[in-house]
Amino acid sequence: MFRIAIQRGFSCVKNIQSVIIPYYAKIQPAAVTSVRSMSKHSTETDEEFDARYEAYFNRTDIDGWDVRKAMNDLQGMDLVPEPKIMIAALRACRRVNDYALAVRFLEAVKDKCGTRMKEIYPFLLQEVRPTLDELGICTPEEMGYDKPELHLENVYDIH
Amino acid sequence: MASNLLKVPIFSKLPSLATRIILPSAAYHRERIGNREVVGFGLNGEPSYIDRTDFPMPAIRFKENSQEITTLREKEKGDWKELSMDEKKTLYRASFCQTFSEMKAPTGEWKSVLAGTFVAMALTVWLYVWMKNFVYQPMPDSFTPEKKAAQLQRIIDLRVNPIEGLASKYDYENNRWKD
Repeated sequence: MFRIAIQRGFSCVKNIQSVIIPYYAKIQPAAVTSVRSMSKHSTETDEEFDARYEAYFNRTDIDGWDVRKAMNDLQGMDLVPEPKIMIAALRACRRVNDYALAVRFLEAVKDKCGTRMKEIYPFLLQEVRPTLDELGICTPEEMGYDKPELHLENVYDIH
Repeated sequence: MASNLLKVPIFSKLPSLATRIILPSAAYHRERIGNREVVGFGLNGEPSYIDRTDFPMPAIRFKENSQEITTLREKEKGDWKELSMDEKKTLYRASFCQTFSEMKAPTGEWKSVLAGTFVAMALTVWLYVWMKNFVYQPMPDSFTPEKKAAQLQRIIDLRVNPIEGLASKYDYENNRWKD
């Protein structure tokens, strides 16, 4: 009885193999050349990244929410935005009519320069200077915001 | 038929009703933020204001929309070169509380922390002195120099640790320490 069961089992496997193997043999070549579909492995180059953010800020229908979202995202990344991204962002601020946002963004980028402020920040300013002049945006230094202007009492000391 | 005629004016009024409906959560937040403009998603979708260097654009503006700021915002829609420095600063402070340099300004708090640490350490030393004088009993008899010398002699006599330890450094033939 068992022999019959085993034989039947084997014949079953053989039947399935005869159906499946040609099928896989057919699709195998395509599978070999395909890209590994890993879930979160970015293959974006720096140029593509810059272009993506530039295009994002250059959208004509961008609103204040989107501008802030991208700026906050950039602030969380391990990079200083390229001047062309900055220019696109400043123009986006102009389109949504938010002057404070433009100055805040300049401050944020300056903060991102970190310990290499003296090397990077003058270069960035030099690159975005034409845009600043065109739109009438003052740098944080011109606003006097490179040094603390007002004192804010610590909330824990108020009461 | 009559009932159908009755329905018409009710439906025509619905849109105006709908505009007046405010979600409970929205009312809750609106009550707290006054007429401040919600300008972004913020940290977690809550309409709150916070100054952070790693997340510089909060969800709402810092100041409520006063008459002065509303007129200034109208002017902001024009050429920014026509804004005076005062107006630019007013606009910035209407949107944000602190500048980056103010956020990062040293508070000098480290001084009080250091002072507190030293005070605590000094108090600890005095507590120890007080305990030593008034709480603990005198050291046991075995801590006197004579008793310690006697213990050492006993260890030598027992040849404790003869390979690498104490007894290995003792010259038993001449009855003195090896050089």
